[in-house]
Amino acid sequence: MSTAIEISGLTKLYKETRALDGVDLVVPEGSVFGFLGPNGAGKTTALRILTGMARPTGGTAMVFGHDVVHAANDVRALIGFLPDVPAYYPWMTAEEYLRFAGKLFGITGAQLDERVVSLLNMAGLAGVTQRVGGFSRGMKQRLGVAQALINAPRLLMLDEPTSALDPMGRKDVLDMIAALRGKTTVFFSTHILTDVERVCDTVAILDHGRVVRQAAMSEIKSEGHATRLLVEVEEGAERLEHALAGQAWARECVRDGQVVRCVIEDVAAARRIVPALISQLDLGLVRMMDEEPTLEDVFVELVGRRA
Amino acid sequence: MRGLGVLLGKEFMEILRTWRLYVVPGILIFFGISSPIIAELTPQLLSSMSGLAEQGVVIEIPPATTANAYLQFNQNAMQIALIAVIIATAGAIAGERSSGTAQIVLAKPVSRTAMVVAKALSNWGLILVAIVVAALLTAGVTALIFDTDMLPEFAALIGLWYVLAMFLVALTLFFSAALGSNAGAAGAGIAVYFMLTIGSLWKVAREFTPVGLLGAGDRIVMGTADVPVVWPVVTGVLGALVFVGLAAFAFSRQEL
Repeated sequence: MSTAIEISGLTKLYKETRALDGVDLVVPEGSVFGFLGPNGAGKTTALRILTGMARPTGGTAMVFGHDVVHAANDVRALIGFLPDVPAYYPWMTAEEYLRFAGKLFGITGAQLDERVVSLLNMAGLAGVTQRVGGFSRGMKQRLGVAQALINAPRLLMLDEPTSALDPMGRKDVLDMIAALRGKTTVFFSTHILTDVERVCDTVAILDHGRVVRQAAMSEIKSEGHATRLLVEVEEGAERLEHALAGQAWARECVRDGQVVRCVIEDVAAARRIVPALISQLDLGLVRMMDEEPTLEDVFVELVGRRA
Repeated sequence: MRGLGVLLGKEFMEILRTWRLYVVPGILIFFGISSPIIAELTPQLLSSMSGLAEQGVVIEIPPATTANAYLQFNQNAMQIALIAVIIATAGAIAGERSSGTAQIVLAKPVSRTAMVVAKALSNWGLILVAIVVAALLTAGVTALIFDTDMLPEFAALIGLWYVLAMFLVALTLFFSAALGSNAGAAGAGIAVYFMLTIGSLWKVAREFTPVGLLGAGDRIVMGTADVPVVWPVVTGVLGALVFVGLAAFAFSRQEL
């Protein structure tokens, strides 16, 4: 599989602040790639360098083999970009803005007409004659995705595309991103874990200017992270918690009402011993199940460890 | 300069759709119509307001002439209109940066130089149309009130004003790109204009630099012989081009 983005040792200093601290990253072509990190981790800085808005202090960043510093226009011809707070000329309509954006890529005539109509439909803005200055945030964000797609880019870069939106606006934008799977490479930054879980197939976690983990979603959620066991009993959960806490394969046991959750080091042993313990304690079992680690668990573990 | 044509088209569309169409042209057209009228009325107003006639004091105020109408227009255009030009241009680059519109446009294969040049050409074009319309109105109203004398001198005055406006647009564009602040660019532009006004007291500066553009129009209309205009015009146009280049360079060095 070819590479859409390849970043090596990327560093960005702002006076004394190290916004990026030797970032290494590879984004495979065709992936929907989540660039995840807490606020201030350096996500926007990385995107600004990739789009030529900022210059790196050190390291290299390549987009489809083009250096973003020395071949910025070649890179920009291949990408579509939506900044975190997209700003448009308020006196234009959505259609006028898309036509303007298309012409900047040299697209004209029937091809431009066709793309504008198609993208207005995709963004739910067909027939909207209101000027952009009067748009809601959701409409602006949908227009932002549409203008970023006007050149049918090989790589779509979105900076926090859902962070300022209400639930319906978020759903619309995530649906638009999900619909692009298999058509183009999508690289989007966010701090919203559920968005990444919902649409991404690959993820990198950035913290304090460094990539602390990059892998496929399925891999990152399972690899090396302990399973949690959930046990609910009719009554007497405090006795069960005490008993579980004494087991060598169980740790971090917490009780919430009649539910006890523990991190399990040996799942097979737990499945064998827990029913016996419940019987021994003469408790009524309501349910017992494994809980897969969520991306939030992984994120908190990786980011929290460095905090 | 990739994207210049598209960006220029956008600038002209913006002029037609926003306040830019009304501010500088509106001011110039207002002065174009009102200046000859004010010139005609000024002597009468001065006579009636002095109150000295009742005390037996007689002040001879000569009647207004065509030259007074043109000088009145130039006085207004040189002060209020040029300051309006500076203020209107100050946000050209800084406004695009601060609002975020530049970021989304320049993420496309467009050169920053093209954006700066489009701003310069559109502003020069707007001011050219506005000053020509205002000059025609001034000449028309002056012909109605006075006569059609001194049209070549008035044309020269308008030409000199336009070169100075071009220079100030370019200078303010540079400040807009370099300082990244609307208010900062406007303040710096007005400060430099003020310094040029002071510089016009120095003969050498009047003869060889754009400073000479400030008073040359008045002197031509008043019939002063051998007013130096060649070097002020040449250096004014060259200076405008240099400042557009500097604006493009400053903008290209900045991170968005």
